[in-house]
Amino acid sequence: MRAFEALYDTHHRIVYGVALRILGDAHGAEDVLQTVFLKLWNSPELFRGGNFGAWIVRVTRNRSLDVLRSRATRNEGEFPEILPEEETLEDVAFSHLDAERVRAALADLPAEQREPIELGFFAGITHEEIARRCNIPLGTIKTRIRSGLRRLREALDQPVIA
Amino acid sequence: MNERTDHEMLDEVAVYALGALPPADANRVRAHIASCPECREEYNRLRSTASLVGLSAETIGDARFCPSTLLKPRIMREIAKQSAPARDSGPKMWPAYLVAAACLAIAIVSSMANISLSAQNRQMQTELSRSADASKKLAQSLSQTRITIADLLSSDAKHYDLEGGQIVTRGSHLYIAMHSLPQPPRGKVYQAWTLAKGAKKVAPSDTFVPDSNGVAVVPLPVDPRTMAAVAISVEPEGGSKQPTTKPIAVVPLT
Repeated sequence: MRAFEALYDTHHRIVYGVALRILGDAHGAEDVLQTVFLKLWNSPELFRGGNFGAWIVRVTRNRSLDVLRSRATRNEGEFPEILPEEETLEDVAFSHLDAERVRAALADLPAEQREPIELGFFAGITHEEIARRCNIPLGTIKTRIRSGLRRLREALDQPVIA
Repeated sequence: MNERTDHEMLDEVAVYALGALPPADANRVRAHIASCPECREEYNRLRSTASLVGLSAETIGDARFCPSTLLKPRIMREIAKQSAPARDSGPKMWPAYLVAAACLAIAIVSSMANISLSAQNRQMQTELSRSADASKKLAQSLSQTRITIADLLSSDAKHYDLEGGQIVTRGSHLYIAMHSLPQPPRGKVYQAWTLAKGAKKVAPSDTFVPDSNGVAVVPLPVDPRTMAAVAISVEPEGGSKQPTTKPIAVVPLT
């Protein structure tokens, strides 16, 4: 139980933050926070290695989108929560980064790339709906998402200059 | 796959990595990724980046964006309630200590990567992903991680408590597994020491520092079956040949 409390202390802010951003209300975010940690307690085997932070972000996003789905009929994409082993290598990068640095890197993206990425992640809508909301052709949205993610990755790959 | 199709598919792979494809398209891209090394590599790169977008939502400092302080006790009470019948329901449920070990293992996995990989440097990570030789090292590191997790989760592992963590032994493997170890003073590191059975002096072992969460898991290159005790002290960077400070922990392996 003590180890689990340590786990909660370390990760509850990111879980709550993602849920709050997606759901937009504190009560719903707290419900997701509780659901995610109870699920983790009851089924720790769902986590199969790799970076725990990256995994719990994906689980939280999916649970939050489940809640949104229950509030309205939606058609979101989902992250796979259980990942092939080779993918876990990339998650190593996650453990080196903090929220402030990621926020700064996101802010540095051109708005035309940042907006579809944030809509896709936090609004949980499909690229078709993103294209409609932005009034931009679907093919352009797809290219901007890819360009934005690649640029974000390059920014976060840069060593931190103290 | 021609060039145009290739380009379009890579764009779709990026949208899939973000989690923004509708289910039917996601299934199609998933199937393609399974059979296309180039797209799989792109997906692996972008999926972790997409998860990082979530990290930007972490709430720190501002109480308006933090969960209620009552939530943690509520969750812990719920867990205690759920765990109570678990002890009485036979082999289907995990024993309490195993659950605790699982949680500890989960908590330390990311720091395992820190110890084994980032103890080198980020440049090394990039090179590792590009060269076959480096991939082998990475695979070995992952293999070690999985062995460690298996050891920590094993029902026949022995756990010796110390403040802020445990010493865990299983067969010929021995680990220092800390979950709340404070950072050592600037210019200092923690160093492990082992005392062999019948020996009068401790032998120097690995040095380590915890991650920013106070978590560290250190496999020690000794067979615990031949050891009488493990100790930890604070030493100058690079380690010492013999302890220069009073150990913060001395754990008999009995």
